Amino acid sequence: MTIENISGCIGCGRCVHACPCDVIRIDKESGKAAIVYPADCQICHLCRMNCPVDAITLSPEKTIPVVVSWG
Amino acid sequence: MKVMLRTSVIVIALMVFLGLPILFYWLGEFPRRSVLKEAISLLTLLAFSLMLSQFFMARSNLKVIQLFDLRQVQLVHKFIAYAVMTVLLLHPVLIVFPRLFEAGIGPWQAFRTMLTTFENPGILLGLAAWILLLVLTLTAIFRLRLNWALGIKYRNWRYFHGLLSVLVTAVAVLHAIKLGRHFNPSMVFFSVSVAITGAAMLFKMYLFPPTKPTVSAKQTVGSE
Amino acid sequence: MTTTEQQSGPTRRAFMAMGGSAAGMAALGVNAGWGQNTSVSDASAFTTATHDCDVLVIGGGMAGLFAAVKGHDAGAKIRIVSKGRLGSSGLTPFAKGFFAFDPAQEELTLDEYVAAVSRSALGTNNPVYTRQTAEHSLARVEELKAWGFFDSNLYNKSFMTPIEARGIPLHERVVVTHLLKDGERIAGAAGFRLDAEEVVIFRAKSVVLCTGAGAFKPNGFPVCDLTHDGTVMAYNIGAKVTGKEWNDGHVGRAKNPAATYDGWGDMFDRRPSLEGVGIRHDLGVDANYLAYKLGNPVEAGPGSGPGKNVAGGPFRPVEFADNGPPPGPPEAAGMGDGPPAGGGPGIGGGPPGMRGPAMGGASAGMSIHKSEGLVPINDRCESNIPGLFAAGDALGSHMCGAIYTQIGSSLAGSAVQGAVGGEAAADYARDVETPILEETELAAVEEEILAPLRRKAGYGPAWVTQTLQGIMIPNFVLYIKKESILSAALAYIEELRDHHSPMLRAADMHELRLAHETSNMIISAEMKLRASLMRKESRCSHYRLDYPDVDDENWRAWINIYKDESGDMRLEKQPFDTWPAQT
Ligand SMILES: Cc1cc2nc3c(=O)[nH]c(=O)nc-3n(C[C@H](O)[C@H](O)[C@H](O)COP(=O)(O)OP(=O)(O)OC[C@H]3O[C@@H](n4cnc5c(N)ncnc54)[C@H](O)[C@@H]3O)c2cc1C
Ligand code: SF4
Ligand code: SF4
Repeated sequence: MTIENISGCIGCGRCVHACPCDVIRIDKESGKAAIVYPADCQICHLCRMNCPVDAITLSPEKTIPVVVSWG
Repeated sequence: MKVMLRTSVIVIALMVFLGLPILFYWLGEFPRRSVLKEAISLLTLLAFSLMLSQFFMARSNLKVIQLFDLRQVQLVHKFIAYAVMTVLLLHPVLIVFPRLFEAGIGPWQAFRTMLTTFENPGILLGLAAWILLLVLTLTAIFRLRLNWALGIKYRNWRYFHGLLSVLVTAVAVLHAIKLGRHFNPSMVFFSVSVAITGAAMLFKMYLFPPTKPTVSAKQTVGSE
Repeated sequence: MTTTEQQSGPTRRAFMAMGGSAAGMAALGVNAGWGQNTSVSDASAFTTATHDCDVLVIGGGMAGLFAAVKGHDAGAKIRIVSKGRLGSSGLTPFAKGFFAFDPAQEELTLDEYVAAVSRSALGTNNPVYTRQTAEHSLARVEELKAWGFFDSNLYNKSFMTPIEARGIPLHERVVVTHLLKDGERIAGAAGFRLDAEEVVIFRAKSVVLCTGAGAFKPNGFPVCDLTHDGTVMAYNIGAKVTGKEWNDGHVGRAKNPAATYDGWGDMFDRRPSLEGVGIRHDLGVDANYLAYKLGNPVEAGPGSGPGKNVAGGPFRPVEFADNGPPPGPPEAAGMGDGPPAGGGPGIGGGPPGMRGPAMGGASAGMSIHKSEGLVPINDRCESNIPGLFAAGDALGSHMCGAIYTQIGSSLAGSAVQGAVGGEAAADYARDVETPILEETELAAVEEEILAPLRRKAGYGPAWVTQTLQGIMIPNFVLYIKKESILSAALAYIEELRDHHSPMLRAADMHELRLAHETSNMIISAEMKLRASLMRKESRCSHYRLDYPDVDDENWRAWINIYKDESGDMRLEKQPFDTWPAQT
């Protein structure tokens, strides 16, 4: 896991823009940030450092998809 | 007997309004951040819960009024109110305050972003709650002068105060449910039920006023 | 297999097995069904937006910032486009040491400085660019100071200051995939938005590529958003590319290797600060050689040559034989246990705070900064395509050579070259007509951009990337090279190029980006392998087990790569200290 948790999000969208890897998007329904593409996270913490309400918690661990023969 | 009752009421109150939120905070699987941030969060949670407790330290809570001296109750009410209002009015600032001590966007930038994210209903509710809370606080502090200046009867001020409290609570609870990072189902259930009970007691008093003035005479208790 | 609308996930393991980004979602236990980026069912529903300008700056890092500012100040109408946010994408957000050559402070003269860099770089540096960075660095520092760059660890705000003051239009979260030509000269660029179903066309008299470097989306270095896009786009329209055989030798931590923030200690938290002259010979493949010989983890001190316990390995000039722990920023540092903190980012070996066993390949697919990218035909960051300029990590200026020499010069180099390139592009744009974009050509480009969305079956970019990583990242392929393995890897990469790249599919805009990035990585991999095969010697950060020595007789030359008329990849030598032959 990369981003562990987003809680207390106010949906300002700063993290979406700050993320170089396009991991986060704002969910239309809830209006809050959602971790949509965790596999592409480089755990650089730019999202967290840009969040005005400190909603993002990151973990240093990352699970990598297992290798299969058909892509 | 009365002493024991009083003690147990106080203990129960403490357990409900301080114990439960702490318990929910403790048991909830929330990410733990820096000590400062967690302390601020906990302080805010407790302030919120104590705000709810105010409904139970008022005229509307006949049992308590019967058990204690109204003046005492009012004193406690006032004391807690000022403490709680200070924390809650500072709440927006407290959120960004720790930014002073860490990397990332500065507190001012964070503050501005936060207060201008109008697309978020939770933020709008928060802003509304803050303004209402400010009005509630100011009209409480300056009630005597205000009443005198505007010629308002104290009784009417009480209605105003009660109804505004209900409104503030409703908006604040909704705000907290929408945005509160520690508002897991238990916290939501707790605050909604406490808020509804409190408001219900108030409305009950307004709609069915107690026949006898409950607190006319100061009750003397030997052990005091 | 990446649908973002998956409602209820299968078991975590099963979901992971499907690969792609949906897997991680399930692993997180997050409810799926996000609205924003649902599958694009109808790629024909895309709209097209066209924008005009004199100079298009592609990239929002240090180079892009200065290209835009200086281009504007030279009178050109500028637009900036970046796939991420200004100052919050590419490598720039993570660099903290800024080299400034202050003649009043330094013991070395400018000439002596350039000569020392050349000695450490074994001639691989282009002294014109080495000198240029040093000469202009102080002026760039003054500007950055005025914008508040040194006041925060995040750069977006200070970068926005001059851009807002000049009213320069900024297109963020637009992925550029194509450079456009009008006859022989540049005519603009095309790409797509991440947040809307929109193709974006820029018509421009001149383009400055500030797209940074790239890598194979490795673990341990925050370069996963960069895949040499600019280099490959330019290569596709006939530009020459250099420096692909060099390697950046950054290591990562064995524990949680993907966590770049944690791996770099408090680096990312720090504000930038200044660096004086400090010339080293760092972060080549010494550690890789050590690991190859002894196995890993490697517990060597930074910069320490393998000589002490292992015979052979990369040649290190005596003058720079024992650097000890590099005093510079992590960029110039090696394996991890240099003195951390104690001052600005300038102090500390590192990645500072990087403790415990190290692992190689953190930045796999990236060369030494500034040693790879477009071949400059002069000192004004100009490429061989008229009107196309490149600056910073996207320009193969060989500013510090094929090994890290001057510490902190990468950031400074991007700033200086951005300014030079921006001004040069504005000068060029002044004298040319607005280019014409042919409708048919545009339609073809649009078709290419959206193709992965239209494919109903094919290969997921995440899977192809993973396969490419498996082929390229091993130490014995990318770093400690030999003929047989390089040829074998090339065969695999050719398969990906011919059969998988044309069949990449995407379910949404994010995957569309990944699909294009994956294609670019495949071309980059091919370049790296071909250049590595061609350079039959070892020098700086290129090491061949079968040609372990420096060969000055045959190899005082850079390798340029270009596409010939029939679309094949060609390689040529360009002697050190010369500009490319102009046809
Ligand atoms: C962890 C770390 C530490 C470092 N430390 C130092 C240091 O202390 N000192 C130092 O001097 N250097 C350091 N460096 C190197 C330095 O960061 C880079 O050399 C420099 O920032 C490069 O700047 P740039 O503008 O050329 O490219 P980048 O900053 O990489 O910018 C590239 C830009 O191009 C955009 N882009 C790329 N592809 C596309 C596309 N297809 N479409 C649209 N936009 C695109 C990106 O979004 C990005 O905005 C470090 C690097 C890292 C990663
Ligand atoms: S840690 Fe970095 S890559 Fe991961 S989501 Fe945050 S900004 Fe994006
Ligand atoms: S920056 Fe923070 S508050 Fe804003 S959208 Fe992201 S997580 Fe939510």
